[in-house]
Amino acid sequence: MQNPYEPQMTVIEKTITENQAGDIRTFQFRFREQAARDAFQFVCGQFAELSLWGVGECPIGIASSPMDQDFVQFTVKRMGVVTTALHRLREGNAVGIRGPYGNGYPMDRLAGSNIVIVAGGFAFTTLRSLTNYVLHPDNRARFGKVTIIYGARSPGELIYKYDLERWATRDDLDLHVTVDAGDDSWTGLVGYVPSVLKDVAPSADNALALVCGPPIMIRFSIPVLLELGFTPECIINSLEMRMKCGMGKCGRCNIGGKYVCKDGPVFTYAELQALPAEY
Amino acid sequence: MQDLTMQLRDTARSLLRDGKVGLVIGYEHGSVLLRTKPCFVRNADDTDRLVWSPLCENNIASYLLSIKGRTAVFVKGCDARALLCAISEGQIRREDVTIVAMPCEGVLDRRKLAERLQGRQISGGTVQDGKVTVVGQGFSESYPLSELLPVGCVHCTHRTAPVFDIRIGDAAPEIEAIDDYADVKAFEALSPDEKRAYFRQELASCIRCFACRQACPLCYCVECFVDQTQPTWYHKTGDLSDTLLYHVVRALHLAGRCVGCGACSRACPMGIDLTVLNRRLLRDVQELYNYVSGLDPEAAPLLSAASPDDPQEFIK
Amino acid sequence: MDAKVITKEKLVELLDQFIRDYEVLAPVRQGDAVVFGQIQRGSDAALDVKRTTMSPKGAFFPQEEVLFIFDGVEAQVPTESGARVLFGVRPCDGRSLTVLDKVFDTAEYPTVYYGNQRERTFVVGVGCNQPPDTCFCTALGGEPFGKAGLDVLLSDLGDRYLVEALTEKGERLLEDSALLQDASEEDIKEGKILAREAREKLNVDLHIEELKAKLGGMFEDPIWAEISMSCLGCGACTYVCPTCHCFDIVDELVEVGGNSGRRVRVWDSCQYPLFTHHASGHNPRPSHRERMRQRIMHKFSYYVNNFGVIACVGCARCLTGCPVNLDIREVLLTLAER
Repeated sequence: MQNPYEPQMTVIEKTITENQAGDIRTFQFRFREQAARDAFQFVCGQFAELSLWGVGECPIGIASSPMDQDFVQFTVKRMGVVTTALHRLREGNAVGIRGPYGNGYPMDRLAGSNIVIVAGGFAFTTLRSLTNYVLHPDNRARFGKVTIIYGARSPGELIYKYDLERWATRDDLDLHVTVDAGDDSWTGLVGYVPSVLKDVAPSADNALALVCGPPIMIRFSIPVLLELGFTPECIINSLEMRMKCGMGKCGRCNIGGKYVCKDGPVFTYAELQALPAEY
Repeated sequence: MQDLTMQLRDTARSLLRDGKVGLVIGYEHGSVLLRTKPCFVRNADDTDRLVWSPLCENNIASYLLSIKGRTAVFVKGCDARALLCAISEGQIRREDVTIVAMPCEGVLDRRKLAERLQGRQISGGTVQDGKVTVVGQGFSESYPLSELLPVGCVHCTHRTAPVFDIRIGDAAPEIEAIDDYADVKAFEALSPDEKRAYFRQELASCIRCFACRQACPLCYCVECFVDQTQPTWYHKTGDLSDTLLYHVVRALHLAGRCVGCGACSRACPMGIDLTVLNRRLLRDVQELYNYVSGLDPEAAPLLSAASPDDPQEFIK
Repeated sequence: MDAKVITKEKLVELLDQFIRDYEVLAPVRQGDAVVFGQIQRGSDAALDVKRTTMSPKGAFFPQEEVLFIFDGVEAQVPTESGARVLFGVRPCDGRSLTVLDKVFDTAEYPTVYYGNQRERTFVVGVGCNQPPDTCFCTALGGEPFGKAGLDVLLSDLGDRYLVEALTEKGERLLEDSALLQDASEEDIKEGKILAREAREKLNVDLHIEELKAKLGGMFEDPIWAEISMSCLGCGACTYVCPTCHCFDIVDELVEVGGNSGRRVRVWDSCQYPLFTHHASGHNPRPSHRERMRQRIMHKFSYYVNNFGVIACVGCARCLTGCPVNLDIREVLLTLAER
């Protein structure tokens, strides 16, 4: 029987430093065994536990699109013991991956809908996975209009700049990148994500909004969406929580009777309203 | 004790009624025999819940670290000293606390009582006039309270709050002997192997629940060293070296601060005698620095202040 | 298998017999506490103890459990094999195993470690003739001679025990034992009377059904601040509790800078301040109030919604272990009466 606590080994193929501060890096992993990669079938919005033997594990959202069959990517911010150790690793080092965990974004509801992505800072990672998935030629036709509003504190803190550049050249999505404060070379939008959202005013007609970012960004974005006519069922969040086992057993990540690792991390705003305010 | 309880209630009532404090912390009857528990009263009409007896074992100074606003506490000598120590460390404002000194002649050590009972269940029990009386199916026994005191009470040198705003009853008579730390000396006389064996055995039961730390009014660090991950000082698995590390470092962090109240030992669900380390440090602090903690809320904490004429013959 | 009896002297021999064939865990004294530990002789079992300080959950969900041993090349799962006997389990603790089974063994993530321990263990229970007066198993659907979670139940009839095999495993454990004799009708009747009398001694009503119905709506009730005022956040309750199951997973190296070591699952507690502390510094449960609420609601509301059972068996270890005598019975009644 497969031991659910056992990580599958991967090797780091590539690392990308995403931000100016240098504390956010994207790691690209290749599974040692193809069978392990095949077994790691995930949906956008899911996460995995990255494992470093001798250091520990940490839960990180999957940043690559499921369409990338040869590798998986995770974008990790250096915060504590495990992420610091991970940041010291380079190409060729081994890392374990356990998962995928979580419920992921509701792909069945997203199909046929217009998609509005509202993201801030480092939390963009699983929404970037979703964006690349939706924009893939095999998938694009199944989804409606795509609007992205993504912001960071400063131009140096924007992540996935290479994706942003690529996406900007496309005519099948509406991309708005903003920063809280610009710098000498920044010529793009300047403004908090909620206010850019208000200006862009995406239509709520047959649309689902996915919101990921720091709590304050979420708090100010949701009223804007509600005013635009998005119902609580049509506003989708991915929550952060301190997690360990990823399987709803260690008891750490619950909000009321729901475990963020198992019943989440994706919840609609309507579902969150029904849960105790404990997150 | 009855009279003291009445006086305590009267004092609590008038403090609340006159608006001098918004909250009174004391003790009320516990949910099982021969126990009291901490009691929080905000309403002057509610003060009849408060009681005073040798069952008032908890160190209620702990609560003042998180409770804000003007509060009155009904404290034993050790509780008060812990409170004064916390005040001297800037954790509690003196002006926010009304210290009501209660005379204490020691609290009942429930473990020592359990040893006498040998598993027999009691259906009734009282502690009065220095005697502990228990009744159960087919037995009724009485023991002198003095035989059932925890080690901290046996060696107590400050039975009533040294600094207070109100005193109830007369100060408890101080015991005549100064603490001679005979127990510490006896332990020191053991060989290293015997000491190691002692700790190995006592700490074999330690489940690292940290109840001892939480019960201590002076363990108030927001992040305890055992919880730090960068660097990681302490590993969560049960290696004796880690368990011992926790207890030794905690005792050292309390050196010059610990008042010997025994709350740590009482909190331990496994019944480990945690006072061995603390009493050794109490002795050292007394002998090396001639210092007793918690007597003066204005004094600088012992190990936080240094002066050129500090004794230093012991530094080789 | 029909009910058997065994004299008290022969019971010690039976334990010796088990010790020859299996690892045997039984209540043993450890300082002032009584815990479940391995015995080498039947006479070492402390059978007179009414309630052990620590529950037997450590036999299935140890305080520290090595999940993997790694050496820089591969990671191994340490296998613990061989049957063993867990002896002297009170019915409340037996019942607690059926509660823990539900969280550790789910369809989505079947258990490996916990399940292995459950499978290789015969659980031999002993009924409670004189339950301590703090116990309240009956308020939660349990009873002093309850059978849930046990493979064998012993009932103390004075000079002898009634021995009932409750499961196929229990029968396997007891079969062919020459130390057991067939129970008479009288023996069986006495056992039933004993069970009934014990149950009647523990007539505790904590209005649990009422509580279950309303607890879900009480999250924002100001009563939680009152209830949790005296709590020290020491976590002793969660450690002595037979149904508490929160854990952490930590890695340890054999030596600094090396690459061999172990990944260990260790107990953790929702009562600790850092339990839900985020890397960002945010903590959804910043004080005793939220953490006490979590403990009660998890056991009496969330677990019920998720698994259909209350995650408390009324063993009363929490209230006897609590340094400030925070009594869960009082808490439940206060909540039920809101």
